[in-house]
Amino acid sequence: MNSEGTPKVEIPDILISAMAQEINNYDTVLHGVSSPLPVLAMSVARRTHAPDMAYVSGAGGVDSEVEQIFPSSFDPRLNRRCVAYFGLYEAFDLAQRGELNLMFLGAAQIDRHGNTNLSVIGDPDHPKVQLPGGAATAFLMPITPKVVIWITRHSGRIFVKEVDFVTGQGYNHRTEEQRENELVVISNLGVMDFKNDARVMQLRSVHPGVSREAIQEKTGFELIIPSRVPETPEPTSEVLEIIRQLDPEGVRRAEFK
Amino acid sequence: MREVLTTLEDAAKMVKDDELVTTGGATFHRAPMEMVREIVRQGRRGLNLVDREPAIDFDLLIGGGCVSKIRAGMLAFEVFGLAPNFRQKAEAREIVVKEGACQPIIAGLRAAAMGLPSLPVKGLIGSDIMGVSEVIGGYKQVEDPFTGEKMVAVRAIEPDVAIVHAQKADKYGNVRIEGPFYEDVIKAKAAKKVIVTVEEIIPNEEFRKMPEATTIPHFLVDAVVEAPKGAYPASCFNYYDADYGHIQEYMKWANEGRFEEYLNQYVYRRGER
Repeated sequence: MNSEGTPKVEIPDILISAMAQEINNYDTVLHGVSSPLPVLAMSVARRTHAPDMAYVSGAGGVDSEVEQIFPSSFDPRLNRRCVAYFGLYEAFDLAQRGELNLMFLGAAQIDRHGNTNLSVIGDPDHPKVQLPGGAATAFLMPITPKVVIWITRHSGRIFVKEVDFVTGQGYNHRTEEQRENELVVISNLGVMDFKNDARVMQLRSVHPGVSREAIQEKTGFELIIPSRVPETPEPTSEVLEIIRQLDPEGVRRAEFK
Repeated sequence: MREVLTTLEDAAKMVKDDELVTTGGATFHRAPMEMVREIVRQGRRGLNLVDREPAIDFDLLIGGGCVSKIRAGMLAFEVFGLAPNFRQKAEAREIVVKEGACQPIIAGLRAAAMGLPSLPVKGLIGSDIMGVSEVIGGYKQVEDPFTGEKMVAVRAIEPDVAIVHAQKADKYGNVRIEGPFYEDVIKAKAAKKVIVTVEEIIPNEEFRKMPEATTIPHFLVDAVVEAPKGAYPASCFNYYDADYGHIQEYMKWANEGRFEEYLNQYVYRRGER
């Protein structure tokens, strides 16, 4: 806390706040496993600008009143005061119907077309690094109207020319219809999207204190950088307070280490 | 109704070497850990494991030397990082890993539960996962005969055994799961043999008073075992929370090459934890 009593803004706060901004009121939103930032972003959105969103948790609860987050995003305590249980496979059925509006997914590698890798570094049959696997990624990525990818360590090792394995389908691995679906990438340095005819990654905003050049330098391919790139809005004090209240033990910081 | 109440030892003997096994719960929640420990103690080998998002249950079976193949959507220790034994043995090529994806794995189990040879799903096309070769829950691109829509048919996944930890059962195998079910009911319908461990055995009369709370009826279940704290260190809703401290200790020992010590302390020396 500084002298005014306002908590100091940290990088995880900026990501959470930017992720929350991607949620619209009345959206049906799902988070999966290993997802402390999505759980916080969904909780922030629900307590601020999207009170009528349908909050569907991978932990099983619907519209839970999350009081605190835990090292596991499936912890049953996250289902506190939920109105119903809705299984993950039921949420996936909803996605097949086109009625899941937004999903948050991670990535160990991502390329300029938005292909993500969560499976393996090196040859899949002779892995150099065996990654955990993409969970729902290969299923949800092409068919969900909006997917938000969060990346906590923006570098040339993660933003690569070509992913070693396509777990999640970027725009060059999609049907015409699926190319209409939105993909947003939120990293510890900035926000990127693919809103151009070629459907390749472009810079949408830079986080406070980050330059366009610094982002390009830490990206393993050429980003499209528009002439004017705004700063990502800083989280409000209300948002910061919600984050600190729900995560007193700092679980959100684990992914940044 | 026949009585299926048995001991942990006898129930674990129903799991044979080289069988296809799935477990209930998800990551650190309602994983059937006591049965997993017994399978490790009995020295089962060559198991073929399949699940959507397992964690410490699969990793302990791998670390205990019981496993030859894995098919999962994701196998990780949530924010703590990579599953230690899974990663070590996969990179040393001591186990074969064939990634699935959550919905297709569930679809394969649902197909088996419905008695169908396959079930179509959306998505997947364009992902390299389509090229991962494996017969269990294998994929094939198909066209819907009515609309021509391109989809992916997932081959049925019929586990030899499903092992589920639940809160309550009676001695006949009627099971009550409290809180989220995950895919446990689907797994009980899909598998050839179903083993259920529970926190407590309750009288059959309790099920008759509230049948809507029964999640798995007795005729799907082959063995019931009373195993209090049977999910530990995973959580069991309404009974206990996950022990994240223990889980981190497990990872530390495995990552430092001292997993044998963990096995000695928490698995082979039964009852101590």
